[in-house]
Amino acid sequence: MTISSSNLTPLSEDGLGQQPWWVEQWMELINGYRFKKRLERAWGYAREGHVTSIRFEGRRVHARVQGTDETPYKVKLWLDVLNDEDWGYVLEALAQKARWSAQLLAGIMPADIERAFAASGKRLFPFKLQEVRSECTCPDKANPCKHISAVYFLMGDRFSEDPFVLFQLRGRNRARLLEDLAEYRRKALANLAKKTKSKKIDNPSDESAPLPPHAAVQDPALWWRYNRNLDGDLVVITPALEGDTGLDDAGELPLAEDPRFPDARNSFLGNLKAHGQASAQKAMLQAMAAGS
Amino acid sequence: MSLLHATWLPAIRTPSSSGQPALLVWADTWRVATPEGPGLTPALHPFTLSHNDLRAWLGERDLLPGSCIDATACLTLPSRTVKPRKTRSKTAEPAPEPPAWTGLPMQAGEPVPKQTEWWPWQVQGLAVDPAGSTDWLSRLPLSGRNSDLADELRWWSHLQRWALSLVARGRWIPQMELSKGEGYPHRARWMPLLNREEDRRRLEDLAASLPLVATCALPWREPLGRRSNRTTRLRPEAMRAANPVASCRPRSGRLRVAALLEDLVDAQLRKDFQPSGEGLDPLLTLWQDALGSETGVIEIGDEDAERLAAASHHWREGIAGDFASARTCLTLNTPPEGEELWELRFGLQAEADPSLKLPAAAAWAAGADALQLGEIRVEQPGEVLLEGMGRALSVFPAIERGLESATPETMQLTPAEAFVLVRTATRQLRDAGVGVELPSSLSGGLASRLGLAIKAELPERSSGFTLGESLDWTWDLMIGGVTLTLRELERLSGKRSPLVRHKGAWIELRPNDLKNAERFCSSKPELSLDDALRLTGTEGELLMRLPVHKFDAGPRLQSVLEQYHQQKAPDPLPAPEGFRGQLRPYQERGLGWLAFLHRFDQGACLADDMGLGKTIQLLAFLQHLKAEQELKRPVLLVAPTSVLTNWRREAEAFTPELGVREHYGPRRPSTPVELKKALKDVDLVLTSYGLLQRDSELLESQDWQGVVIDEAQAIKNPGAKQSQAARDLARASRSKSNRFRIALTGTPVENRVSELWALMDFLNPKVLGEEDFFRQRYRMPIERYGDMSSLRDLKGRVGPFILRRLKTDKTIISDLPEKVELSEWVGLSKEQKSLYSKTVEDTLDAIARAPRGQRHGQVLALLMRLKQICNHPALALSEGAVDKSFLSRSAKLQRLEEILDEVIEAGDRALLFTQFAEWGHLLKAWMQQRWKAEVPFLHGGTRKSERQAMVDRFQEDPRGPQLFLLSLKAGGVGLNLTRASHVFHIDRWWNPAVENQATDRAYRIGQTNRVMVHKFITSGSVEEKIDRMIREKSRLAEDVIGSGEDWLGSLAGDQLRDLLALEDT
Repeated sequence: MTISSSNLTPLSEDGLGQQPWWVEQWMELINGYRFKKRLERAWGYAREGHVTSIRFEGRRVHARVQGTDETPYKVKLWLDVLNDEDWGYVLEALAQKARWSAQLLAGIMPADIERAFAASGKRLFPFKLQEVRSECTCPDKANPCKHISAVYFLMGDRFSEDPFVLFQLRGRNRARLLEDLAEYRRKALANLAKKTKSKKIDNPSDESAPLPPHAAVQDPALWWRYNRNLDGDLVVITPALEGDTGLDDAGELPLAEDPRFPDARNSFLGNLKAHGQASAQKAMLQAMAAGS
Repeated sequence: MSLLHATWLPAIRTPSSSGQPALLVWADTWRVATPEGPGLTPALHPFTLSHNDLRAWLGERDLLPGSCIDATACLTLPSRTVKPRKTRSKTAEPAPEPPAWTGLPMQAGEPVPKQTEWWPWQVQGLAVDPAGSTDWLSRLPLSGRNSDLADELRWWSHLQRWALSLVARGRWIPQMELSKGEGYPHRARWMPLLNREEDRRRLEDLAASLPLVATCALPWREPLGRRSNRTTRLRPEAMRAANPVASCRPRSGRLRVAALLEDLVDAQLRKDFQPSGEGLDPLLTLWQDALGSETGVIEIGDEDAERLAAASHHWREGIAGDFASARTCLTLNTPPEGEELWELRFGLQAEADPSLKLPAAAAWAAGADALQLGEIRVEQPGEVLLEGMGRALSVFPAIERGLESATPETMQLTPAEAFVLVRTATRQLRDAGVGVELPSSLSGGLASRLGLAIKAELPERSSGFTLGESLDWTWDLMIGGVTLTLRELERLSGKRSPLVRHKGAWIELRPNDLKNAERFCSSKPELSLDDALRLTGTEGELLMRLPVHKFDAGPRLQSVLEQYHQQKAPDPLPAPEGFRGQLRPYQERGLGWLAFLHRFDQGACLADDMGLGKTIQLLAFLQHLKAEQELKRPVLLVAPTSVLTNWRREAEAFTPELGVREHYGPRRPSTPVELKKALKDVDLVLTSYGLLQRDSELLESQDWQGVVIDEAQAIKNPGAKQSQAARDLARASRSKSNRFRIALTGTPVENRVSELWALMDFLNPKVLGEEDFFRQRYRMPIERYGDMSSLRDLKGRVGPFILRRLKTDKTIISDLPEKVELSEWVGLSKEQKSLYSKTVEDTLDAIARAPRGQRHGQVLALLMRLKQICNHPALALSEGAVDKSFLSRSAKLQRLEEILDEVIEAGDRALLFTQFAEWGHLLKAWMQQRWKAEVPFLHGGTRKSERQAMVDRFQEDPRGPQLFLLSLKAGGVGLNLTRASHVFHIDRWWNPAVENQATDRAYRIGQTNRVMVHKFITSGSVEEKIDRMIREKSRLAEDVIGSGEDWLGSLAGDQLRDLLALEDT
């Protein structure tokens, strides 16, 4: 029997649309695993809510899975961490392309990120499921056991909450990564400047210059003064166009699903949208009554 | 008068309290105060209203917030240094150590001293929670000045309106806010999304205009572990530690304003959130519950909190970034001649001022340093630039190509990509927080649409005075600032590329452009003078559905247009022949303007400031018509009864050639035939608004050459009968030739939107359309919301017909003497008249029979009594109360009310002198009722300390009284009251020197305005005769001045009768 990725991915089962590519990649990884039967059982297990918690702690994933035993089993998952030298290669490669920094800064995982990692001969994503190291406190000798496999399924979803978790598992969290990246970019820039030597742009900023005093210091009347008129756009308060609210723009809430509550995110968003419409109506009524 | 303020109190989040932010509503008022200095804690603000007074004050004005608690806060306020008065302390107790600094907090509108210090003050007020604040702020007026509300309340009301707009447009997203440290709670928050272009701009606007008083507070902290009712007994050290004497620095900034907005939006969305918890997992249930709870505190493990925070942050990150001081900016450059590819340059642009830009190279070169964009500091410019690129990439994928190198500065776009950028991506990029600069010919707006460039001139032999006449004109099609012919347009349209190059500029053609142009060309249009006036009046006017981008008028047409739109001062017209008197230069221009609009058959509203001589200008205009032999039929002038006398007097003085007749009183003609007969050889007929209404049919039966309404605010209410009658009369159909329409008013009529419609309907009915349309299109948006674009459009439409000059205008000031004396002629009411005549008859007989020794005293007593009658019968009859009929019993009071209305409306201040203390008391009571404001009265019985307080308050209090009553004897000397720019002599003194002395209270060193001196003269009465004698400098007058009132006693019986008896006027 074969299991297609479509009924393996909890989200696509709900028809909630496109997954971020890195979640899909994770699912493919699981899907490529040899022991389908065991995975199928694990998915059912996860769906029934046996995984009670998953947390990312530093470079490891800690999970608790309620098995037959009274106390939950503790599951640990981790990847091989890149050492500083490897990270050096990765960062140097990342700094070569403005796009990579740009996307990472804007919270987007670049689809071709592995190309930067290739410079170190390493990968961001594990190539095979076997690269994902794991431990479970259950008596089952097989690895991955049912409990570990159940955690696998839920992991992908958790990646969508914060794509930078992957970097964290490889040894750098988001803040550190962006900082280091900026450092490497500056280095690259300095090298470039050395090579060309011609291009020198004066930085007009002057570290020592104190901030100019606020205008109100010169003119205390500014403490009270306000003589502007209402912005023309606020004269008539209008509702959003169909499908043009912030919630519409934001789309899917990137929060991993608790398998026991498959409709939770839908209901939550539904509640928010209903509240949004009611509030918009009220706000417009309130605005119309203003100044009368 | 008290002034209401509002200041935001930031949340105090201590481990023990989940402190909410709050709005502190407080008020300050003028009072005498001793200077204070901070001790252990900030000093108590000496001018604030106490909690109870504030509640009462707000209650009276229907402004009391729904729920609020008494609160105290430390506000940093500009303060003036004042040395403490020395106190002699002879008690044994050692005096407490004096504070290092003493002074007083400044109040809004107070003159700024040379040196200002900033000190914290303890301010009492009412604290309103955020939910209550959103309701309360929504109730505040959005526009207009209100003497009870400080300006910053308008800022608050605008901020709240923005919050409403964000909620209405659904620009928000729930967030999870992590604890700020050990023991602090995690919170669920509703966050506004400010990624859209308009919202980003608005944040900058409100940050730049933030009145600092709105954010200058630290909450007053009561040290922990104490009950609030025992705080006074707290140890000083604890108080000092909790409320240090420290000022917050004056600073503004987008972050502060954004934080306020967040609190308002959060409160607005939080208060009614009651979702169902069905089907939610435990984590979402917790979050959702916290989003609906009052404080947003969420009881949740750190781990789950972090997870929620990361996920919600990531959710939001997809739409909106943080508030950096600069944003990424993409500049599109057109291809060089002969090439195909467009250039897109990368750079940074200041949020606060998009004109401040730097190329990407500068950001790369800055490295880890901050970058300076003008005065704006940008931290981590490289990161800001890259983050924006990341956002741009997801909206406009074409720029991916440009980001392959480490430090890109520019890239090239294909024509198709450039078109996508111009047409759709620019908007999306801007909404994502990325600036886009397009070549000017493509930058959207009306100018980039196909329109017309027109050249026009009056025909050679035209006088330019007929609206319908055709102009000589040529036109070109114009788009993006370049002209093109129809053939060129056809050729460019044939290219099948939406972006085309023409005459060096790139323009965007739209599908219907060619069709519209062809239709226009084939119709062979004509252009009338009327069209030209319309097209040059307001922006965005269309001619056959095409916008007019450019209008070149030839010199002769230009001169007409400029004069019409008042872009230049009207050409002056010298005083006409037969006019007795001199016109000041601005009056000649006013006359020229009246004549100019008259030639076009357009109604005119002369709305000059009080005292500039509207009466004289109108009389000169009528005399001008007469001199030109154009005055063939009588003109009807409608005015309030109280000024009819004034009109007749002025006409007699300045235009004796005009035949003037009053249509007034019981003996007036009552049939059309009689009236027609009476109007023979009459040029000007004066009547009142009351008769206009009562005799409307009779008046309509006559063939008037024109209708003039004085004090035109009388017709402001469109539904009122007198205003209906005036409008009917203006456009009576019986007459074959048109009637000219002129309105006179001293009120700033162009600012009273609600009154404009009726006025324009009288002057030029078509300009503002039907009343319903006017209300929807102009009145509601402007009055309720202060909509500037509607107001500009309205002013553009009515502007040509209203001429208003102010005393303070530079061109006027040079024409005016520093002191302008105005004679206010008034009549007598029926009651006054009979009382006056009876008093004269009765007393003269008695005097004639009295022994010689007593005559003198009796004459003086009679004189006093007559002057009192001229003021008000109640005064002569020693009545002490002001009742409903008070106003109608005195013609002088009615006139005074009209003038004072204008003074108050203009925000001016006035001194009012009378010689009768009883009259002062009556007037004070009446004026306080009439204008619902305090009116001080300084008289002989006023205590010395009170006098000084009255004078100080009048001079110093930014919101002090506008009217100040003084008795001539007590207030006529010694005082300095230069804040007044009007002086009223309500009754006359025989000696002009005494009057002048009183006048000089206002007109003296320190006076920066022109002073208007109003002298009331009751016509036909003793007041008029004395006035005439003084003016004619008769020998008698010299006697008068020389010897006070003694001479009166020696007048012979007939002389006395001549002087005192009421002349029928």
